[in-house]
Amino acid sequence: MTATPPEVVLLGGGLSRFAPERPDGTPVDWIVEATQAALADAGVELGAVEHSVVAYESEIIARQLTMGQVAQDALGLCPRPSVRVEAGGGTGGVALRTAFAYLRGGLCESMLVVGADAVGRQVPSTTVRQVYAMSGDVDFEMAGGGFFSAYYALMMREHMRRYGTREEQMALVSVKNHRNALSNPMACMPLALSVADVMKSPPVAAPYKRLDCAVLADGAAALLLATPGWAREHSRAWRERPRVYFAGSGCGTDRMRLGDRPQPYPGLAHFRAKREAAHAAYAMAGVSNPRGEIDVAEVADPYTGVELQSYEDLGFCGYGESGPLTERGVFDLGGELPTNTSGGLIGQGAPPGAMGLAQAVEILRQLRGECPPERQVPNARRGLTDIHGGTASLSVVSVFERRE
Amino acid sequence: MDPAVTAKLKEMEVADPLGRPAAEDPWREFRRIEVIDFRLDLRFRHSLGKASRFFLELEQRRLMATRCPRCATVWMPPRAACGNDLAVTEWVELPGRGTLAIATECAYALTTGGGQDRLTLGYVALEGASTLLLKEIRNYGDAGRLQAGLPLRAVWAEAPVRHPMELFWFEPVD
Repeated sequence: MTATPPEVVLLGGGLSRFAPERPDGTPVDWIVEATQAALADAGVELGAVEHSVVAYESEIIARQLTMGQVAQDALGLCPRPSVRVEAGGGTGGVALRTAFAYLRGGLCESMLVVGADAVGRQVPSTTVRQVYAMSGDVDFEMAGGGFFSAYYALMMREHMRRYGTREEQMALVSVKNHRNALSNPMACMPLALSVADVMKSPPVAAPYKRLDCAVLADGAAALLLATPGWAREHSRAWRERPRVYFAGSGCGTDRMRLGDRPQPYPGLAHFRAKREAAHAAYAMAGVSNPRGEIDVAEVADPYTGVELQSYEDLGFCGYGESGPLTERGVFDLGGELPTNTSGGLIGQGAPPGAMGLAQAVEILRQLRGECPPERQVPNARRGLTDIHGGTASLSVVSVFERRE
Repeated sequence: MDPAVTAKLKEMEVADPLGRPAAEDPWREFRRIEVIDFRLDLRFRHSLGKASRFFLELEQRRLMATRCPRCATVWMPPRAACGNDLAVTEWVELPGRGTLAIATECAYALTTGGGQDRLTLGYVALEGASTLLLKEIRNYGDAGRLQAGLPLRAVWAEAPVRHPMELFWFEPVD
């Protein structure tokens, strides 16, 4: 007889502030800060933590190989086990999924999940663009001048061509996410903007303009995950505060080059990897009507149009419907399904190794009812995180639930 | 007097990123920061691998794709092993004509893109290919012409280039 795998719970989360430039520390310094915050939030002593998973994207940008081992040392967790994961922008999502698998599989009963990157202004923009271009096709596309802003722009151009999606609809995503960040003291870009402000910002790659784009940032995030049995014994938060379960995890992939993806679906306009990941996570969590059954979501938004495209492959709406629904305020605070209440990558900031974890920190706070009133979704019971690497050549979707 | 540390860019007091008063800042004894110039000189002897024939034939102004003998997919860019079934593919020459699938005008370019300040990138459906090729689009005039279906032809560099992918680009047929 096979034993039933244990459930996985979120006990605490914390961030080290996301900012365009943090000369005050190194990524490992920020991991320490985020871990202190997560342990305090969980009410757990460092000495009880059994295992870690460390998430960061680029050794070159971090100016450090084996940062997982360096972080383990700095955190005082030696000689306990640790693993490092990497999946580009999806790194934090893969870290969550790794912790889920380790805990479900019985390799440990508690796992510290930490992520960081230093991609802010201390790295010249030409260096960042070249290094990140290497996360796609190097010999054909990067060598031909390709880079990620252009790839995402091409995807959105196709979405506009197929469905009539408009730049003003994309701009509304920028307005929403920058506005949501206003109540987030950890956020990089809290701004009160108008659609006109976004529309007149400098061009990047048509249709994208500067204010359609997330800001590459410095920062770190940490979460403590465990089994319920371990939580009962070691976590004050588990005993005293609302309980949040990791209800579903899904992962999907797609061809790295957009031009190699099957037509007509996903073609250039859609995220097949995300649809695959969402289906798996929903099946595990028992979600059949995502827009009706999810109360709050952090959705990948490296560019405004990506958030719209993601709504569709996450099943929040039909293909081509994301723009009109955004105009109706469906995804605003107070709307049917508020998204990126933290500000998302656009408002909170985008250190690749940390951003998928920061999403889960926000959902944990939302499901516990502990966000500032300006951005708290009333009675949020189920939340989702969605993050990806490349142009969603790898995608991870996670579903979390508050249970009494 | 010469500086004691030549890589030093600056030293400074930094604020608490969370804006706490100094008395409440747990890191107040660690806020004096030195910033240095950190350089990596990274160069590689980079093999273009099994796709090398594609790059070499560009010098002869030929566009080579690969065809899977099992599923008949024509890969452009070429793959030595079919991305559908791992069968070893065979080289086929494409005519260098196609149509635009989608394009974007970029306000800046990577330094690896031939050195220009800005460029227009498009996915091109080459005649005979099953997949789309990303390439620079030049000499199209008004941006309004960059519509799906615009007939394009490969145009070849007359002067030496640094990377083989800079040997060609696409322009409208007329």
